[in-house]
Amino acid sequence: MSFLESYAYYVGAFGLILIGLLVILVKRNLIKIIIGLSILDTGVNLFLISVGYLASGTAPIFSREGIDSGSMVDPVPQALVLTAIVIGVAVLALALGLAVRLYQNYGTLDMRKIKELKW
Amino acid sequence: MTVELLLGVALGGALLTYVLGKISPGLRNAFALLNALALVVMISLLYGQSFERALPLGFLGLELSVRMNMLSWFFAVTILGIGLLSVIYSLVYMRNKERLDYYYATLLFINASMLGTVVAGDLLSFFVFWEMMSWSTYLLISLRGGSKAIFAGIKYIVMSLIGSLTMLVAIVSLYVSFDTLSITELAGHVQSTTMGQALFVLVLFSVTFVIINALWPFHTWLPDAHAEAVSPFSAILSAVLVRKGLYGLYLLMYAMLGFSMLGKLAWGALSYSNVLAWIGAITIVFAAFRALMQNDSKRILAWSTVGQGGYMVLGVSVATNLGMAGGTFHILNHCIYIALLFFVAGAIEYRTGGIRDLDSLGGLIKRMPVAFVGGLVGICGLIGVPLTNGFVSKWLIYKSLVLEGRPFLAFAAFLGTWGTILYGYKFIHNIFLGQLPDRFRDVKGIPFTMAVPIVILTVLIFLFGVLPGIPLSVVDQVGTYLGFESLNVSIWGIPSETGTLNVVNLLAALAVAGFIVWLVLRAIGRSVSVDQDDTYAAGAAIPSGKYHYTVGFYSPLYRIVGPYVRDFVDAFFLKIAGWTGSVCGVTRKIYTGFVGNYVMYIILFLAALIFVQIAWSPW
Amino acid sequence: MVSPVLLIAVPLGLAFLVPLISLVSRRAAMLVPVVACLFNLVVAITLMPGVLDQPVVEKIGGFPPPFCINLYAGPVGVLFAALIALAGLGIAVYAMAYIRTGPVDRYHLLYLLLLVGATGVVLTGDVFNLFVFFEILCISSYALVAYMGNKSGLEASVKYLIQGAVGSGLLLMGIGLLYGQFGTLNMADIANRMGSVNQVSVFVPLALIISGLGVEAAIFPLNAWLPDAHSSAPSSISAILSGIAIEVGLYAMVRMIFTVFGATSILMFMVFLGALTLLLGELCAFAQSNVKRMLAYSSIGQIGLILFALAMATSYSVAGGLFQLLSHTLSKALLFLAAGYMIYRSGSMEISSLHGMGKRMPLTSLAFTIGAFSLVGLPPFVGFPSKFLIVRAALARQQSIFTILLGFVLLGTLIEGAYFFRVVQAIYFKKGSGETGRSYAPAVALVSMFIFAALIIFVGIYPQPVADAVGSAATELLDRAEYVRSVLQ
Repeated sequence: MSFLESYAYYVGAFGLILIGLLVILVKRNLIKIIIGLSILDTGVNLFLISVGYLASGTAPIFSREGIDSGSMVDPVPQALVLTAIVIGVAVLALALGLAVRLYQNYGTLDMRKIKELKW
Repeated sequence: MTVELLLGVALGGALLTYVLGKISPGLRNAFALLNALALVVMISLLYGQSFERALPLGFLGLELSVRMNMLSWFFAVTILGIGLLSVIYSLVYMRNKERLDYYYATLLFINASMLGTVVAGDLLSFFVFWEMMSWSTYLLISLRGGSKAIFAGIKYIVMSLIGSLTMLVAIVSLYVSFDTLSITELAGHVQSTTMGQALFVLVLFSVTFVIINALWPFHTWLPDAHAEAVSPFSAILSAVLVRKGLYGLYLLMYAMLGFSMLGKLAWGALSYSNVLAWIGAITIVFAAFRALMQNDSKRILAWSTVGQGGYMVLGVSVATNLGMAGGTFHILNHCIYIALLFFVAGAIEYRTGGIRDLDSLGGLIKRMPVAFVGGLVGICGLIGVPLTNGFVSKWLIYKSLVLEGRPFLAFAAFLGTWGTILYGYKFIHNIFLGQLPDRFRDVKGIPFTMAVPIVILTVLIFLFGVLPGIPLSVVDQVGTYLGFESLNVSIWGIPSETGTLNVVNLLAALAVAGFIVWLVLRAIGRSVSVDQDDTYAAGAAIPSGKYHYTVGFYSPLYRIVGPYVRDFVDAFFLKIAGWTGSVCGVTRKIYTGFVGNYVMYIILFLAALIFVQIAWSPW
Repeated sequence: MVSPVLLIAVPLGLAFLVPLISLVSRRAAMLVPVVACLFNLVVAITLMPGVLDQPVVEKIGGFPPPFCINLYAGPVGVLFAALIALAGLGIAVYAMAYIRTGPVDRYHLLYLLLLVGATGVVLTGDVFNLFVFFEILCISSYALVAYMGNKSGLEASVKYLIQGAVGSGLLLMGIGLLYGQFGTLNMADIANRMGSVNQVSVFVPLALIISGLGVEAAIFPLNAWLPDAHSSAPSSISAILSGIAIEVGLYAMVRMIFTVFGATSILMFMVFLGALTLLLGELCAFAQSNVKRMLAYSSIGQIGLILFALAMATSYSVAGGLFQLLSHTLSKALLFLAAGYMIYRSGSMEISSLHGMGKRMPLTSLAFTIGAFSLVGLPPFVGFPSKFLIVRAALARQQSIFTILLGFVLLGTLIEGAYFFRVVQAIYFKKGSGETGRSYAPAVALVSMFIFAALIIFVGIYPQPVADAVGSAATELLDRAEYVRSVLQ
């Protein structure tokens, strides 16, 4: 119980990361690969958040007297995650845009068939 | 007169030639000629001077310097002299060809960088000039275009790059150990180095110099390059560029390592000098047989360049003052007659429309007498017929080998000379003697400016053959500079107890013999001169068409020795190149084109890093 | 004293001004990257003498480090910033003529963002900030690779994006682990506390960060995107990717290993990896018939060489590696730029279509030749002093393993020489089949190539100033304690 309680987020984060990597590795469809990237990204973000997470912690704002800074949630990972999410969205948008253009050019999204550049 | 100015004029002249060519071809030719002439005048003014001076600009904290001494002067004179003659020869030979600005500028640039290698006072500037020489030569070898010339160029540059990379390692290894690259300072330090390092440096340097001097087994670039380059440039290649390898060996063996170190690097008979001498001997014999089998006028000369390099190395590696003088003198002599022969072959090519195949030439003696005389004298020099310069240097080499008790090496040298006689005769006969093919009936003689270098070199061959004292006094100073005992040189040769050479006696003996032959002929009776056709047909009707066959010269000999003198080293190198190609073809297959594989590589790399850490924790 | 913040802020501001300016005049928009790079070059050069004595630590937000994000403008950072600005300038000038079709203003916007990202990576002193700038660099390069919108460009871009995104995921995870262990993101602070934790637990973030940055740095086996992307991008972009992007990736990796982790024990592995990358890159390049793909593989080889030198971690070798990096930037940029117009005129990237270019485009061919000779390391071009320094560094280690590895490295150089000489011959001595008329590249493009060629020759003949700069940069990279002290004092 205590293990799950203290490590649940890490387990979940690494689970997401591994699922994402697996999807990227085994799927041929570009859209699915992009979904895999997105899952990977989410996993990493969850991981970052859980680094600073404190069970039953408070917001890191000295809003009233007597708040113990030790019981606050670390704010830095949250700031990082915000940035990381924005970057992830940019990559995702670009990837989807490219996927559309790729489909127009090749008529397929199967990455095994899109192999003009090799060796 | 300073060396810096000399180098500046040489390099600047090369660039200026290119610029002037864009203005007017005539101006360019005049300037190139003037520049080459000025360099020859300047180097003659530097005769006998000896100094070393730092250049104003250093390189990565190293001081660069130039120097002048008898060794540098000797090589510089051959470079600039042949350079001048080559430019004169090119004036007509290269006329009406494409890319002349490029040709003249690169030719002068090559001369300038060769000059740089011999006047460099430290190994870094030596290397820089060496590399400039390599790439500029590569840029000129393929000038003619066509697949053969291009193949020759790539073959040359790859081998030359191997050489320069090994040399770079050797030079840097010296620098790391002694923190200086000045040749004179290194000479002091190297004496005290360990055997291991001395051997390391020696082997690496030797690879470079053996490659550029085209000794077996690294000769394979030379026949292609020399045959495919344009003839005036072939002359430069054969006469001087190849001999930069010997200059390097001189520096390495005598100016830097010195006798004591060379003496220490020996395990029984397996000493450095011995190995070098045997490489020289193999080169002589192998090249002589290969030359016999060629049917291309320039290829014969190219193979003879390989072989003659062997003689020089023999002389040098014997390391007595007599052998040294022989080797050094042979460099000069070879430079004279091989340039002459390439000029002759080029003239034939020029007048017959690019024909180099010996089977289809013949009978040009009456059409091109100047070329015939030049060719004959050149071949005599090459063989070493008395009263030509080649005789003197070969005699010195034989003598030193015999005196040192090296009968097998001497035999190899003799064997090479017999081969030389055979292929020399083939060269002369197939081009100038025999029946004149119909299509060459109207061939004209050599144009004047092409004849000038030929005549000059012909005269030089006789001059140095009859009065060997003139060049030998310089050669002797080179020897003394390198630490050899001085030879007692007189204008007629070398009168000393170890090996007397007196051309006066020879002259007298020859005159007497000639007189006797003449008397005998006189006594037997009168001879009638008959036409060549009559000789052949014995008075019967003369057949039409070609009746005087000169194809398949020495074919019985080929049948006997042919299987043994294949150029298997060349074949081996080409195999290696082929293997490299297939390895490359396999290697590129890692990049499969499927992005899943690529991501797999990333994950495997990460996994391997972590696995190795957990399993062995090596870091 | 100018502030190093300007190096990032001004181009970033100008980048977003590009679309606005292009509303007024398209020609003016093309000049924006040139102006920005010129500005950066001037700033970097003015900063240079100062930072050689004392690095400038710029605290953003007014907090003292480690609480703020700080910029660290040491010799390395300013040297890289100057190099980025210089290469960026030359390539931007070239692009004024070369990029004619497509959404030109967006090209220039992305191009400037790429340069901002690169400059940010080399100047920042904060791990997460490094990640952000890195992503700016990567995302703009994904987009620029696909700029032409043709089949191969799109394919290469998508593949590059997938691998890059996986790489940055790993990088971010490594950064997260570092934060989890040290509770700080400041490089100097992490470095300061590195000794206090178990080395094994630091290894996982190190491995993640090496893998993540290695994708962009194009180390074998993480470099599969490179040949596709560099060969399919427009030539000006290939030049900046080969000349700047992968070098910046390598810089980030080396900074992490040297300064943040101080992981000296992994260096031997990196030396091997560098030699392996070099050999495999050169072998693949040898087998190419497509000239841009050949140049791309040759970039892999050069990255391997630089890594080999940097990972030997002596002051000579790091200086040699940085010098090689600089010479690669100049030479490879010149090669791609020259190849760009040759390909444009001949209509094909095959080497066989370059036959006879020496007559058709003499100046461009000359530029290509200079670049090729310099890359092979022939004097008097800039590749020679760097090769000399690397050989000296390897031999100065006085260990036979380094001498043997040096042998392999030189074998790589030999193979590189062989394929470059082959192309040079094809350009000059083979007969072209098609047109034979003269067709010069546009004057602007020639000016840009001239800048690179002149620098290659000038630095090749007079390398001393550059050698001094890379020498002090090497000292900075190797002296971890000094880095920590100057930030945290």
